[in-house]
Amino acid sequence: MRVLVVEDEKKTASFVRKALQAESFAVDVCHNGDDALAAASTTPFDAIVLDIMLPGRDGISVLKQLRERKNSTPVLLLSARGEVNERVEGLNAGADDYLPKPFELSELIARVRALTRRSGENKSTTLRVADLTLDTLTHKAQRGNTAIELTAREYRLLEFLMRSAGRLCGRMMILEKVWDYSFDPGTNLVDVYVRRLREKIDADFATKLLHTVRGEGYILKEAA
Amino acid sequence: MTIRTRLSLWYATVMFIALMVMGVLLYFQLVIEPRQEAHRHHHEQNEEAVDPDVFEDVTGIVLSCGIPAALLAVAGGWWLMKKSLAPVASLTQATEKITAQNLGEKIPRTGNGDEFDRLTEVFNSMLARLDDSFNRIREFTLHASHELKTPLTVLRGETETALRDEKISPTERERAHSQLEELRRLTQIVDGLTLLAKADAGQVALTLEPLRLDELVRDCFADLQILAEPQHIQVELEACEEISVRGDRHRLRQLLLNLADNAVKYNQPSGHVTMSLRRAAGLAEIKITNTSAGIPPEILPRVFDRFFRGDSAHGNTIEGCGLGLSIAQWIVSAHAGKIQIASAPSQSTIVTVQLPTA
Repeated sequence: MRVLVVEDEKKTASFVRKALQAESFAVDVCHNGDDALAAASTTPFDAIVLDIMLPGRDGISVLKQLRERKNSTPVLLLSARGEVNERVEGLNAGADDYLPKPFELSELIARVRALTRRSGENKSTTLRVADLTLDTLTHKAQRGNTAIELTAREYRLLEFLMRSAGRLCGRMMILEKVWDYSFDPGTNLVDVYVRRLREKIDADFATKLLHTVRGEGYILKEAA
Repeated sequence: MTIRTRLSLWYATVMFIALMVMGVLLYFQLVIEPRQEAHRHHHEQNEEAVDPDVFEDVTGIVLSCGIPAALLAVAGGWWLMKKSLAPVASLTQATEKITAQNLGEKIPRTGNGDEFDRLTEVFNSMLARLDDSFNRIREFTLHASHELKTPLTVLRGETETALRDEKISPTERERAHSQLEELRRLTQIVDGLTLLAKADAGQVALTLEPLRLDELVRDCFADLQILAEPQHIQVELEACEEISVRGDRHRLRQLLLNLADNAVKYNQPSGHVTMSLRRAAGLAEIKITNTSAGIPPEILPRVFDRFFRGDSAHGNTIEGCGLGLSIAQWIVSAHAGKIQIASAPSQSTIVTVQLPTA
């Protein structure tokens, strides 16, 4: 998997590169829009992390140029402005995701992973992690032979975690996908919901599936 | 006493004195002097014949003319004052409407080129200067919050990178975690500041659409139940009438969640929270009541102030950026609504939000 990081702020570019490399991505870095366009037209990338505020040609313009050239590489926009309008503008210009700065590294990685896997996403109606299954049509959850009652929100949370099974899910990403909040509400809503969900799916079972990665988020997987 | 009444009275008094003086002078001119002339010519005849009738006549004439004239003067004075002071009234009205949000508006001039016009001009130029200063402060806050984002991004990223390194010692790990927590808080503050600074500058566009407010309230109530559970707080949705409003879905959800979260955070263990949505006087009224230590009346008006933390005993234990209620207030006023907090010390606190219905 090869990712292009376009970010003019050197330190940010550097830790993003390191973090993605640690997740075994091959990473190329550009510091301005023109270089990014040149790189994207010569190398096929699996995803592009694109800062909006760049010297010279800005991120939105790079994105529009890419799409005009029929380049459909998934793009994650980064922005320090963090306006709802900007998010909409970015998605309309052809971006696949948007992350306001300052972001959490785990959020960024999770989103880049989601982008690179988008095409191969699990489309089956039954999701399965170990002996936990979730039917996306009937919304029925089951662990072993025990049926688990879920509220609507819990169902959405579990579905999201199961679809991203094995991958770290940051709080902001969960808020966005499960609650449709594009802002940080400053509450511990996610943590409280996860705790409840854990009581339902993990409490009575020896093998724990839902794990907390301290300070970063949650991950649903079989082994600890 | 208004200037108008006072000036009218003075004017009437002066008018009256002037009339009296005129009367006395007239008396001298018309009665005393001719008589002295006559006296000089006919010294021998009727020596002391000062006719008392003439004196009374003149006094009578002066009084009978003077009183109506004085009354007329009062009325005329009243009218004159009213006319000349009218610009003051309109100046007062116009000035009353000025707040920090509309300093850019001008007070309309009378166009007469008089003293009041000059005063209005001076007022307007003062407003322009104030507007300028306010804008500079807003821009400063906006720039400051933007400028903080890049170093914050770097700090957070580098702290997280350090945490990912498995070789670091437990002490270092603990320190990095604590730093990350504070960085997260700082991020929230900076985000809140950016939002408010943008709102002040009129740069936040709301996406207004017809919404079922009751659905948003129910949604928020579901979250409230979950948030309240760990503290064993009882929650109740008293009423949820079907009401539509024109609003920004994201912002209204942010508002409701913020108020619900506060109702849980500032509560007693095993307390209560009740939520309701009703139609009241043609408005959609959301009420959130919680059992709490209450807010002392002297700080009640300040709870919407930015970074205001009322309960100093609570202050350090409760997480938050100190901007929640300021943001809530902005969201409500951006929807042309009203938000109020009432509190009965050591009993309950009631937050009321009124929004125009669609």
